[in-house]
Amino acid sequence: MISADIQIVLPEIALAVYAITALLAAVYTVKDGAASLLVWLTSGIFVLVAAWLMTNGADAQTAFDGMFVADSFSRFAKVTILLSAAAVLVMSEQYMVARNLLRFEYPLLVVFAVVGMMVMVSAGDLMSLYMGLELQSLSLYVVASLRRDSVKSTEAGLKYFVLGALSSGLLLYGASLTYGFTGTTLFSGIMAGVQDQPSLGLLFGLVFLISGLAFKVSAAPFHMWTPDVYEGSPTPITAFFATAPKVAAMALFARLMFDAFGGITGDWQQIIAFLSVISMFLGSIAAIGQRDIKRLMAYSSIAHMGYALMGLAAGTALGVQAMLIYMAIYVTMNIGTFAFILGMQRDGRPVTDIQSLKMYAKDQPTRALAMLVLMFSLAGVPPMVGFFGKLYVLRAAYDAGLAWLAVAGVVASVIGAYYYLRIVYYMYFGEETEKLDAPSQPILGAFLIASALIMVVGVVNLFGVEPIAAAAAAALVN
Amino acid sequence: MSLFIIVALPFLGALLPGLFIRAGRQACFVATFTVSALAFIGLMTHLPAVLGGQVATARLDWLPDLGLNLNLFLDPLGFMFAALILGIGLLIIIYARWYLSRDDNMGEFFSYLLLFQGAMVGIVLSDNILMLLVFWELTSLSSFLLIGFWKHLPAGRQGARMALTVTGMGGLAMIGGMLILGQIVGSYDLTVILENRELIQASPLYLPALLLILTGCFTKSAQFPFHFWLPHAMSAPTPVSAYLHSATMVKAGLFLMARMWPVLSGTDVWVTLVCSVGLITMVLGAFIAFFKNDLKALLAFSTVSHLGLICFLLGTGTTFGAMAAVFHILNHASFKAALFMVAGIVDHGVHTRDMRKLGGLRHVMPLTFVLATLAGLSMAGIPLLNGFISKEMMLEEAVHTTLFGSPLLVAVVATIGALFSAAYSFRFISHTFLGAERDDYPAHPHDPKAGLWFSPALLMIPVIALGVAPFMAEPFVRLVTEAVVGGVAELPEEHLALWHGFKPALFMSMIAVVGGLIWLALFSPLSRMWESAPRPEAKDIFDTLIKALANGAGRFSRTLHDGSFTRYAAIFTLAVVAVGTHAWSTGTAGGATRDMLRVTPIAAMLWGMLIAATCFLVFYHRNRLAVLILMGIIGLIVSVSFNYFSAPDLALTQISVEVVTIILLLLALNFLPNRSPKESTPIRRTRDAVIALIGGAAVAGLVWTILMSGFPLASISEYHLANSYKGGGGDNVVNVILVDFRGYDTFGEIIVLGIAALVIYALTEALLNGPVRAKLLNRDFEEARAGDAHPLMMVVLTRVMMPVVLMVGVYIFLRGHNEPGGGFVAGLVVAIAVVMQYMASGFAWAEKRQRYPYHGIIGAGVLCAGLTGIGSWFAGEPFLTSAFGYFRIPPMQEFELATAMGFDLGVFLSVVGAVMLLLESFFRLGRRAGTEDSEYAIDIDPSRTSTAEEG
Repeated sequence: MISADIQIVLPEIALAVYAITALLAAVYTVKDGAASLLVWLTSGIFVLVAAWLMTNGADAQTAFDGMFVADSFSRFAKVTILLSAAAVLVMSEQYMVARNLLRFEYPLLVVFAVVGMMVMVSAGDLMSLYMGLELQSLSLYVVASLRRDSVKSTEAGLKYFVLGALSSGLLLYGASLTYGFTGTTLFSGIMAGVQDQPSLGLLFGLVFLISGLAFKVSAAPFHMWTPDVYEGSPTPITAFFATAPKVAAMALFARLMFDAFGGITGDWQQIIAFLSVISMFLGSIAAIGQRDIKRLMAYSSIAHMGYALMGLAAGTALGVQAMLIYMAIYVTMNIGTFAFILGMQRDGRPVTDIQSLKMYAKDQPTRALAMLVLMFSLAGVPPMVGFFGKLYVLRAAYDAGLAWLAVAGVVASVIGAYYYLRIVYYMYFGEETEKLDAPSQPILGAFLIASALIMVVGVVNLFGVEPIAAAAAAALVN
Repeated sequence: MSLFIIVALPFLGALLPGLFIRAGRQACFVATFTVSALAFIGLMTHLPAVLGGQVATARLDWLPDLGLNLNLFLDPLGFMFAALILGIGLLIIIYARWYLSRDDNMGEFFSYLLLFQGAMVGIVLSDNILMLLVFWELTSLSSFLLIGFWKHLPAGRQGARMALTVTGMGGLAMIGGMLILGQIVGSYDLTVILENRELIQASPLYLPALLLILTGCFTKSAQFPFHFWLPHAMSAPTPVSAYLHSATMVKAGLFLMARMWPVLSGTDVWVTLVCSVGLITMVLGAFIAFFKNDLKALLAFSTVSHLGLICFLLGTGTTFGAMAAVFHILNHASFKAALFMVAGIVDHGVHTRDMRKLGGLRHVMPLTFVLATLAGLSMAGIPLLNGFISKEMMLEEAVHTTLFGSPLLVAVVATIGALFSAAYSFRFISHTFLGAERDDYPAHPHDPKAGLWFSPALLMIPVIALGVAPFMAEPFVRLVTEAVVGGVAELPEEHLALWHGFKPALFMSMIAVVGGLIWLALFSPLSRMWESAPRPEAKDIFDTLIKALANGAGRFSRTLHDGSFTRYAAIFTLAVVAVGTHAWSTGTAGGATRDMLRVTPIAAMLWGMLIAATCFLVFYHRNRLAVLILMGIIGLIVSVSFNYFSAPDLALTQISVEVVTIILLLLALNFLPNRSPKESTPIRRTRDAVIALIGGAAVAGLVWTILMSGFPLASISEYHLANSYKGGGGDNVVNVILVDFRGYDTFGEIIVLGIAALVIYALTEALLNGPVRAKLLNRDFEEARAGDAHPLMMVVLTRVMMPVVLMVGVYIFLRGHNEPGGGFVAGLVVAIAVVMQYMASGFAWAEKRQRYPYHGIIGAGVLCAGLTGIGSWFAGEPFLTSAFGYFRIPPMQEFELATAMGFDLGVFLSVVGAVMLLLESFFRLGRRAGTEDSEYAIDIDPSRTSTAEEG
């Protein structure tokens, strides 16, 4: 029944209604005057919705004839998305106000993107998949070019848009082939219709769908937009890009692979393993030569997506669990790291050159130590929590018989460690250079320290994420 | 005391120094010392049990899913290392208390030290290899903080960086090896792994696991070719060097090799690799050490050399080798820690560690001299000191080892290593303490306070005791060796003794000592040769290598991501083709189940025209006008092909869309230069052409295969053909789909269309007053403009045509439900009719006669469609359910009325409004300011008239 359906998608509807109402209200009243208020309000609402989802521990439910699936998998992803989006919003407020960038549309576009992401992770049908994906992407295209007077920002937005449209087209082509050869767009229907020996057309549909999604998670070789967009967008936007959308796209990837193509694991496993290996190496190697920390984080994200994909490539419940844990940890680390990057400025102007961090530890020992922890964690050095993420995906890959992938992952992490350690080295040693401004935003400091603390304290039991992720994975892989 | 407490004590205690430093340096020291001492005592409570052959364990589940458990166990090997770490740790803490100056932050230093100590104890007590990894990397981290403690020294920075890079990365590599090992055995518990020698060595993954683990061990223990980081980490405060490089960190690699000995050793790879690496390191380290003038550098390279020695012993894979290794670990720790502390004392007293500025110190620092001589001679392998015993064992082992098929090779190399080792030990003593007293010491040298000499003095007790009476250590060494060997092989018969008779080892030892003395005597000429000889500096090689790699990586990423969009698109295309090829090669095409259609002359002609037009388009793509015309041709052919394949609806839509788009593009061309500039090189164009051909061929191949093999499912058109009339009351299936079956989609589409038009309108509004428009209006034209903007013939003709075209629009609209046509096409046709007026008679003229704003028309369209949909609610049906009926109003014949018509009207209005709004926006942009427009119905351009009159 329609009312029961609506009950299930209520969180999404509530957010969408909020965004539209706020948009209309702000347009006809104070416009940008309400921007700061909207940022805080939006984060608050995100947190509330996340809490709502967490307490609402019902079993798997489907709405609209299976187009929308609410299970513990989607709940896990949604809570991660909502909380990270809330954190990024709060972190960005002062930065954007200081640079006269804060428009009231910004928090609302983020809401639209988040609604899109929530639909993505709950998609049970190629239609809802595409709907969520495009709602998210279109909002992201706009926020990427939010700084309209900056050539770099607009260029980033444009490139992202054109390539994104190309990949969406590819995804649609894949979806239509899939539909053509299975006769349905419903994941469960595809699952039932796919036999052991899939036809060529269906395989093409599968690889095109994978290619389109690989673009969204910025896995190599579909990653080209990432460095430019990360560098060109205003830093808070970059922080947003590095967190919630990655989780959503990854969860959607898993959802599609297991819910729709779970019967032919062997056919996509290799492709995803290939994407994973290319991403890990490309991300790790290309990051070495970077001087701009935002660009570096872009390559780092490519490498990290490679690791997350490794979990997916395993094609097992443990793999999905590993992927979810990896993403949750990755997002937490990134929030802390970007809290740090947002605070990097000299004479009130943002600085993103890595060299400017030289001897940072001398002035700001606490913040430097927090950053050190985060960098070690990103590199996957034990005993930081980041290590556990890597351990999970490596084990999942290994258990699934992809030993070569696990070994490749280790080698890539050795290469990747170099550039994280370089940042640490600059902060603690390096030659004296012009100092950065003293941090002026306590909220960024709080996020940085909190994130670093989580990376250390989390080793106790990963804050109990493990069983939740296991349940989520079990909901998906059965 | 529980093992947990022993491991946890240093970690917890690491907080104390930071707190107690506020109460003064003494309090800070006492706190640190107490913590360490408690852990040491706790360890010693296990001594009886360990000697009794028991293994204490402590287990705690941590992340059982992951196989990661906090399991600890204490066997003799672990006990020996833990005792070394904690025992020497205590001595170092005492020493550091007096060594650190008032400027140094002692709290910070002791915190790091305890952190490091905890991590080391963790390594040696772990019963879970993942736990071991955790502690392993913790030592990298805390040693990084310790080595870089003196941040003001640039050398310290370099050293810390290199140490961290090399050991950290090695540790990460080891993770891989450990994971493989755990997977082979199915457990990450060390005790379980150690019992599965056959399983592991039979596994095909044994080799990668071995290589990865050895990488970790070699980097940590500074084995060739990773030996270079250790000497550069020497700029740390001396207590750190003494601690890290004698007893603890660098021994971690050896510890792990000893720990893994039962499962990893004994294979050919192990023997060849570990032995040769150990030997090379031993000789190379000793050789370089001899020429180093800095006391600590000399000791550092000597450490490298001794680590190589132990590595070699473990590498032989024999139990005697293992026993010698165990004993030498003990001995080396004792004399090397003392030597480092002595070096620190000298540095403290004389304010230099450069041996060229030292000499004759025995007169002024007698006590230090005695300590240094004892420890130094032990290092040189002089009898009655413990270094001698283990060196003898090493030489003995060397005699029995065959490497690369040569029985003599190892013995010779080992003797050379021992010779160099004796030489640098002698040099350490003689160049620092012997000779005449100098009068140019940088400071006034003196023996230190008790706090500084106490620790090295204490270490002399085992040095002498074990040297004189090695049998005292024998039971313990045997116990530890047993733990190393892990029951894989029998323990050797040989005993630890001073005198073994006239064996080869004795002669080799004598050659080494005498040779060492001669070598030292030749120091001056040798040193000159060393200084002048070009030699590869490992650090420089490392730096160059890293730099080259970093540059390479930079170049790689700059080439790949140069910001050029075409490059991104090229990569994207190629990647898609690649994954497509993968699908192609793994999938099974169903085979061609369909026959080819017959190629009729018309089809062939159309195909040829299409190809020709496309080729021309590519060829003339810089000429924009030509491109538009060619695009029009292509569009026409496409619509003809639709018609050919019996899709008149599509053909009709296609052709009207073509006309509207071409007109729109023509208008846009008004603002653009008529040729696109050349921006790419021929090479690039060739590359793009190749990629385009590949992409095109791939798509063509795919389409061909799919069309030939056919779909496995029934076509959906069957359903629509069957239900179109029954359910929607129309014969035109396409139209019924649009307005009925998929009415919701269409409703959404017209809204989107309207929004798009409004957005373009808004954009133009913003441009109208901006600099862009001014620039557009003031641009220079390359060619002379046509004089007559509104040719009379055209004006007349279009006005005559207008009612005709409008009527056609109405006709197409009305027949739409059953025949090809419909609101969409009708909307386009009507729009064309109006556009003609704009083009022929001018914007101003047309605008005056246009009474309804186009926004309004769009809105009306959407409303009309929406209301039609809502109408069905009144009939109790869901939104947009259509109904139809047949009516007869005399004198007309019976005709059909369907609610779908109202909906189609909405579509019609939206399309007209949207297209016109777009055109209007363009017109507004292009309208020249100050131009007067003709007033009269049919008139020529007034501006032209005036010029004509003037002219």
